[in-house]
Amino acid sequence: MTDFPLYPIPRAALRRLARAALPAVLAGLTFAAPLQAQTAREIIDRVDRLLRGASSHGKVEMRIKTEHWSRSLEMEVWSLGTEYSLVRVTAPPREAGTATLKAGQEVWNYLPRVDRTIKVPPSLMMGSWMGSHFTNDDLVKESRIVDDYDIEIAFDGERDGVPVWEFTLTPKPEAPVVWGRIEEQVRKADLMPTWVHYYDEDGTLVRTMTFSDYKRMGGRLVPAEMRVVPTDKPDESTALIYHELEFDVGLTPDFFSLRNLRARSR
Amino acid sequence: MKLYALLLLSFRSVGRNTRRSILTATAMALGLALLIFSRSIAEGGHEQWIDSAVRLGTGHVAIQAPEYLETGRLEHRLDSTQVRRVVRALEDTAVAGTVRTWVPRLTVSGLASSASSALPVRIEGVDPARERVFSTLPDQLVEGRYLEPGDRLHAFVGEELARRLDLKVGGRFVLTAQVASGQVEGQMMRVAGIFHTGIQEMDEGLVHVPLETMRRWLGVPGAVTTIAVLLDSSRETEATVSILRQELDGARGVRVMGWRQASPEMDSAVRIDDYGDYLFHTILFAIIALAVLNAVMMSVLGRKREFGILQALGLTGGETGLVVLGEGLFLTAASGLLGMVAGFVFTWVFFRHGLDFSAFMSEGMSASGGVIDPVIVPVFRYDQVLLSVASILVIGTLASLYPAVRASKLDVAEAMKFEQ
Amino acid sequence: MTDRDAVWWRVAWRNLWRNRGRTLVTASALALGYLSAVVMVGLTDGMSAELVENGTRLLSGQIQIHAPDYLPERSMHATIGGDAGTDVAALLARIDADPDVMASAPRLYGGGLVSAGERTEAGLLLGIDPEREPRVTTLLSTMDGGRTPRAGAHEVAVGSEMARQLQLGLGDEVILVAPAADGSLGNDLYTLTGIFHTGTPAIDASYAVIPLPDLQLLLAMAPGRIHEVALDVTRPWDTDAIATDLARRLQGSGPPLAVRSWRQLRPELAQSVDLMDSMNFLIVIIIFGMAVFGVANTMIIGTFERKKEFAVVRALGSTATGVGRTVVYEGIMLGALALAAGALITAPVMWWWHTAPPDLSWFVGSFSWSGAQWRPILRVEYSTETPLISAAALFLTSVFAAIYPAWKATRVPPADALADR
Repeated sequence: MTDFPLYPIPRAALRRLARAALPAVLAGLTFAAPLQAQTAREIIDRVDRLLRGASSHGKVEMRIKTEHWSRSLEMEVWSLGTEYSLVRVTAPPREAGTATLKAGQEVWNYLPRVDRTIKVPPSLMMGSWMGSHFTNDDLVKESRIVDDYDIEIAFDGERDGVPVWEFTLTPKPEAPVVWGRIEEQVRKADLMPTWVHYYDEDGTLVRTMTFSDYKRMGGRLVPAEMRVVPTDKPDESTALIYHELEFDVGLTPDFFSLRNLRARSR
Repeated sequence: MKLYALLLLSFRSVGRNTRRSILTATAMALGLALLIFSRSIAEGGHEQWIDSAVRLGTGHVAIQAPEYLETGRLEHRLDSTQVRRVVRALEDTAVAGTVRTWVPRLTVSGLASSASSALPVRIEGVDPARERVFSTLPDQLVEGRYLEPGDRLHAFVGEELARRLDLKVGGRFVLTAQVASGQVEGQMMRVAGIFHTGIQEMDEGLVHVPLETMRRWLGVPGAVTTIAVLLDSSRETEATVSILRQELDGARGVRVMGWRQASPEMDSAVRIDDYGDYLFHTILFAIIALAVLNAVMMSVLGRKREFGILQALGLTGGETGLVVLGEGLFLTAASGLLGMVAGFVFTWVFFRHGLDFSAFMSEGMSASGGVIDPVIVPVFRYDQVLLSVASILVIGTLASLYPAVRASKLDVAEAMKFEQ
Repeated sequence: MTDRDAVWWRVAWRNLWRNRGRTLVTASALALGYLSAVVMVGLTDGMSAELVENGTRLLSGQIQIHAPDYLPERSMHATIGGDAGTDVAALLARIDADPDVMASAPRLYGGGLVSAGERTEAGLLLGIDPEREPRVTTLLSTMDGGRTPRAGAHEVAVGSEMARQLQLGLGDEVILVAPAADGSLGNDLYTLTGIFHTGTPAIDASYAVIPLPDLQLLLAMAPGRIHEVALDVTRPWDTDAIATDLARRLQGSGPPLAVRSWRQLRPELAQSVDLMDSMNFLIVIIIFGMAVFGVANTMIIGTFERKKEFAVVRALGSTATGVGRTVVYEGIMLGALALAAGALITAPVMWWWHTAPPDLSWFVGSFSWSGAQWRPILRVEYSTETPLISAAALFLTSVFAAIYPAWKATRVPPADALADR
C-alpha cells in the first residue's frame, strides 16, 4: 500500500528555506573566523528555532507525472511552524474542496465528494501525499536538523561561472532518517538553493530536488519552483510551483480547526 | 485337580506346540509393537504441530493485559510491576518444572521506511537470548545473523520486506510508530539479519528488534505487551493456566490464556487432528484384534482331539477349559511383554532422534526451510502406552475364552473319533 | 486344463468347504483386511483433500491467474492486459472451457482506508463478482445475517474484526478511500450490508468487499481491468499439473498470463498438507502391513494345522506337489471369493461415506486454520489404484502364505505325521 493523504508540502518548502538561511549565516562567519563545527551548530539551531514560529499562507500548483498518469492540482496552504497546517485543493473542480488538516499529532482529511471528514491515525500514514514523489520522511518529521545531521562544506567555488557552496549533510549515526547522505548546492550571491541530492547508504543517488524561478514573494527571495525526480524512474517527477506566498500572516492554532477544514475557499 | 497342576499343563501345552504358539504370539506382539510405535509417532506429530504453531505465536500460555488481545494497542500493556509479579509466578516451583522457557515481548504496529519505500509492519521488541530458545523464527535465517544480547540498533527482518525496501544486511531504515505519549516518533535501525518463512504476512510484515531499544523508543520502561510461555508439553497447558491464574489473582489487569483461547483456530484444528488420530488408531486396533482372533481361531480348529484326550485322561470339562484358558493367558502375557519391549526398542532405537519426513515431502518445501519441522520425534505417553498394552491383553484374553469354552464343552467320544 | 488339473481344483474347492470354520476365519481376515485398507486410504486422502480445499476455498482459490508482472508487488496498475485491460467475459469463458476448471471468479484489489464515524482503519478493498465468487470461495457464505453487496447499490461487506474496531453494525455508513488509477483519491459512501466471519483474524480485520464494477468506479478503472481470476478445480491435490495445462491452453489467445497453483501461492499450506500426507502415509503403511500380516498369519497357522490331513492325502497316493497344488488352488479360490465379498462390503461403505460424510461440527464446532475455514467433515476420496493394489497384495498373500507351511508339512513322511512324530 502506498499513496495516501498526509501532511502538506509547504513544510518541505520551509525546510528548504531553513537550509537556505543557514548558508547566509555561515557566509557571515567565513569572513570573520574559520568555521568551527560547534559554532555553526549553534547558529543552525537558532535559525531552525526561528522558523518554528513562522506562519505562512500560499497558493501552490503541483504537477505530478508518473508512469501511469499525469496530473495537476492547485492548492491553497496555510501553516504555523511545524505543528499546524491546512491544505485545500482548489482545482481541478472534481477534487476542489479536498483538504488535509494537521494539528499536533492528529491528521484529518475532508472529502467534499461525500461531504465527510475522516481522522487518520498517524500510524496509517505511509508513502506519498496525493501520489506525489514527496515522502513521509519529508513531511512528518518534527525533529530538528541539527539533531539529525552533521553539516560540512564540501565545495566552495564556482560552477559554470556561478559562485556556490556545496554542503554535505551526513546523518548522525542514530538519527531516525533514511538517507545515507544529503548534498545541497547554494548560490553564494543570493543564498538560494539550487539543488539537493538524496543518497542511500550505499552512495546511490535516490532522488534529486531542483530549485528554480527565483522571485520575491512575501518579502523574501524564494525559489518559486521545486521539482523532485526519482533516479530510478527519470520520467517521473513532482513539481511544486508557488503562485503566491506570504509570511508572518498572524495565524494562530485556532485557525487550524475542523470547521476550517470543511470550509470552501473563497 | 489342583490349580497348580492345571497351570503346569497350560504352560507345557504352550511349549509343546511351539510353532503354533509363536505364530499366535507374533500376531499379538507385533500388533502391540506397531500400536505403540504408531501412537508415539502420532503423539509426536501432534506435539510438533502445536509446537511449531505456538512457537511462532504466543506460546502455550500467553499473559497479557485484559484488552490487549482484542485491541493490540500499546496502552493495553503490562507495566514493570505486573511483569515482575508474572515472572515470580513463573519461577514458582509448581509451574517452573513444566516451563521450558518464557519470553517478554513488546509489540506495536508501525511503519518501516527506507530511502526507497515504506511498508506497514508489526514491530516486536524481544529478548534475543530467550527468543532463540522459544521461537523458530531465528532458525529461518537466510542472511546475516539473529539479534544478540547487547544489540541496540539491530533488527531482524523478513526477506520480502528487505526486498521491497531495498535493504541488505547492514542497511539503514527507520521504524515509525505512535509512542506511549501519543507522539509519532522514528527509530533508526540497521538490518542485522534476514529471515524467510514462506508465510507472506511474516516475510513482509514482521520485524524483531531488541526489547530495551523498543522500551526506550516507546517510552515504556520495564513494560511488555505479552509474556509468552513455552511448556514441555502442550498437554500441561490447562493445569499451568489454572495455577497461574490462582497465583496472579488479585494482580489487576493481567490475563492468562492458554493457546486454545489465544488462538481458537488452532484449538479446533487440533481437535480435528485428535479425532482423526483416534479414528486411525481404532482401525489399526481393529485390524490387530482381527489378526489375533484369527490366529487363535485357527489354532483352536485343529485341536479337538487334543482337548478330547485331556478329558479322556480325567480332566473335567471345566478343567480342560481352564487349561486352554491358561494357555491363552500365558501367551497373551508373554506377547504383551514382548510387544511392549519390541515397540519401545523399535521406536527408541530407530527414531529417538526423530523420523525425518522431509523425504516424503515435495522437493521445494524442505529446501525453503519452512516453519514446520519435518522431523517428528516420537513421544511416549504413559496413559496411551498402558491403554495399548491393556487393550491387547484384553483382546488376547477374550480370544482365549472361545477355545477354552469349546474345549470344556467337548463330547469326548466324538472328539476322539477324528484326527482333528 | 487337463483332466488331472480339473481334479485338483475340485479337490481344493471341496477342501475349502469341508472345514467351514477355517475357511470362514481366513476369508474374514481377507475381506475385512481389504475393507480396512481401502477405507484407511480413502480416509487419509479425504483428510488431505479436505485440508487443501478448506485452505483454499475460503479466499485464495486453488489456482490464481494474474498479469505476469503482478506478483509480488501487487501494483494496482498491473491489471491483466495492462492499462488497457481485457475482455473479461471472453477470458472467463476461455478459462471455464478447461475441463478441470469448476468455477472461476474475477477480482480487483485496492489498498486504502475504511472509515466510519471517528474511526479509520487500513483496509484491503476487494472487488468481486457477487454471482461468480460464491462458486469459488466461501468467504461470503460466512456471513451471519446480512447479505452480499449488490452492484451499483453502494453496498459493502467487511470482516467481523474490522466491524468491531470501527464499531459498525449492519446498515451503518462506511467511507472507502483509496488512491485511484489516475492519481486522484477515490472516495465514496457505502452502506454496510454484511459482516463476514472467517475465524482468521488477518482476513476478518483487513478486507472490505464490494462488487467489482463499484470498485472499478472508485479506482477510476475501466470495466475491463481486473487483477486476478481465482479458480476452483476438480482435483485439489493435482493443481500444479492443472495449472501448467491451463497456462498452455490459454497461451496466445489473449493477454499474457501467469497461472499459479495454491502450492506456489501458499507455501506454508503446502508444507502443512505435505507433512500431514506423509504422516498419514506412514499410518496407512502400518495398517496395511498389519492386514497383510494378519492374512499371512492366519494362512500359515491354518496350513500347519492341516499336517495330518496332508499326511492322509499323501498316504492315499498324492505327491507332495499335488498337495502343494491343492493348497495353492485353495488359496486362489478363497482369495477370490473373500475379496469379492470384501469388495461387496467396501463399495457401499465407501459410496455412503463419500456422498454423505459425517459432519463433526456438532462435535468440535467450525474454525479456521492456516487461513482456512475448516468444516470438520470426515470424508473419503475414491482412488482407482488403492482397491486394486490392496486386492492384489492381499490375494497374493493368501496364496503364497500357505505355500511354505504346506511344503514343510509335506516334508514329513506321512506315517510320521499321522503318528504325531
